[in-house]
Amino acid sequence: MTTALNDTLGVKRTIRHFDFSEPYWEGTKQKKLMIQYCKTAKKYQHFPRPVSIFTGRRRDIEWREVSGKGTVYSYTVTHRGTPAFRGKEPYALVCVTLDVGVNFVANIVNCTTEELKVGMKVKPYWHPLDDGTHLMMFQPDKDAK
Amino acid sequence: MALRDHAIVAYAETKVMEKSDRDVFVLIGEMLESLLDSTGVEKNEVDGLVVAGMTGTGAGNIFWPQTIADVLGMQVGFCEQVNIGGCSAAGCVVRAAAAIEYGLCEIAFLSFSDTHVLEDKTDHSHTYRREWTDPYGLMGPPGAFGLLSRAYEAKYGLDYRMLGKLAVTQRNHAIMNEHACEKLRVPITIDDYLNSRMIAEPIRLLDCVMRTDGGAGLLMMSRKKAREKGLTKNIIPIGYAELTNYLGGENLVDVTKSGHQICGDKALKQAGLGIKDIKSFHPYDDFIIAIMLQMEAFGFCKAGQGIPYVRETNFAYDGDLPLNTGGGQISAGQAAGSSENLLEAVRQLRREAGERQIKDTSNALVTGIGWINYARNWGSSAALVLVPE
Repeated sequence: MTTALNDTLGVKRTIRHFDFSEPYWEGTKQKKLMIQYCKTAKKYQHFPRPVSIFTGRRRDIEWREVSGKGTVYSYTVTHRGTPAFRGKEPYALVCVTLDVGVNFVANIVNCTTEELKVGMKVKPYWHPLDDGTHLMMFQPDKDAK
Repeated sequence: MALRDHAIVAYAETKVMEKSDRDVFVLIGEMLESLLDSTGVEKNEVDGLVVAGMTGTGAGNIFWPQTIADVLGMQVGFCEQVNIGGCSAAGCVVRAAAAIEYGLCEIAFLSFSDTHVLEDKTDHSHTYRREWTDPYGLMGPPGAFGLLSRAYEAKYGLDYRMLGKLAVTQRNHAIMNEHACEKLRVPITIDDYLNSRMIAEPIRLLDCVMRTDGGAGLLMMSRKKAREKGLTKNIIPIGYAELTNYLGGENLVDVTKSGHQICGDKALKQAGLGIKDIKSFHPYDDFIIAIMLQMEAFGFCKAGQGIPYVRETNFAYDGDLPLNTGGGQISAGQAAGSSENLLEAVRQLRREAGERQIKDTSNALVTGIGWINYARNWGSSAALVLVPE
């Protein structure tokens, strides 16, 4: 089915942050993707947690900047959006497995329905929000091998 | 004593309503009255209250089970709310049995009534949703199942006509179920399923459960006590297991797999049965594909073989493996703390299902699915094996 996708960039978004997520949001002000890393397990985790999901320890967590490049694990085209998104349908959500081994759910922009496929390579698209942070979205990474 | 030393001695339910015409407390009262009348148990003998936590109306009231005890005038030695989402109804059965076995109570009223259409206090704001899915417009469960379906399709392929077959089978059962929501008691075809409007592609309208209101309840006691009271149409739980946050300590979890693989094996082992021994299947159905995923997880077929298995199997009440013979939640309505399929299994094993009565009622497998977590499939899985006494 061929459907033109909307980009949802015009949706008004006000996001309440958890305090333990603040390093992530601070990073987005400079369009940096900061992801939690467990020093003991030597693995990343997303979404941010107050503890390592591998060891249960707060002290094992540090924040590392990553590229945000990854591969589409799955996607869905929304035809009936949440209240804030009504009128913007159809719009796409992707679940992307980042190269550092975590899944990240977000909108995708600059992408047609024909391009949108499981396995496609994507990179970040930073959408500015009113509070100076950016919302991490994805766009096709046409240079990726 | 063990799980199988306890009995469901009675069940009660209202017709499923698009929106309740009466307060949830009235529904709960109706259930208690019906359970007492059908068993001859006196109200003051009921000393346990176990409430399904999947309640939109009770959400936000941290004193919900105590409030119900107060409204009903019950003095109880065990007052419990079971909060594992759509696993709560099945979870109530084992917790009631455990409380009876531990001596905390002797007779337990399991209350599932809810009016989440009439009055919904559910609040998801203090979860990952506020930062990680709401800003992207991911529509809760349909969005999550849209992602799940595409991932399944990419891994194994999907013939949507076979998902439509499951939808039609359940709808046919709802038409035979006078308690099902009246709005849903109209025939559908596989083409109706395929042509129903997209919600979160590839999730269609006829994949989705519809929220409805309704009352339901069970009465449980030890089998010994049931014998003393001369109660004879008892249903015995012989195996139960649940699992919350499957592979919670890992990042990348295959969404075609779930905790049902683990708790299915555990519950069947406790029951002393193999999956091929199961005579009817009453899986939690929030989306059609969840039924097929559970068929794979429990081992009715191998992983990735759900579509061919559905193609070759008759799931009608008089078929190879009777499936959600009351219509399931998708065709009867998601009401009453998601107890619909549990109540239907109890009714079938008591041989009170009328024209849709299953022939072989030597056992039934009931399941639960609860909650949606981030970039996974679902948060809780449950399996409950029932037999008639």
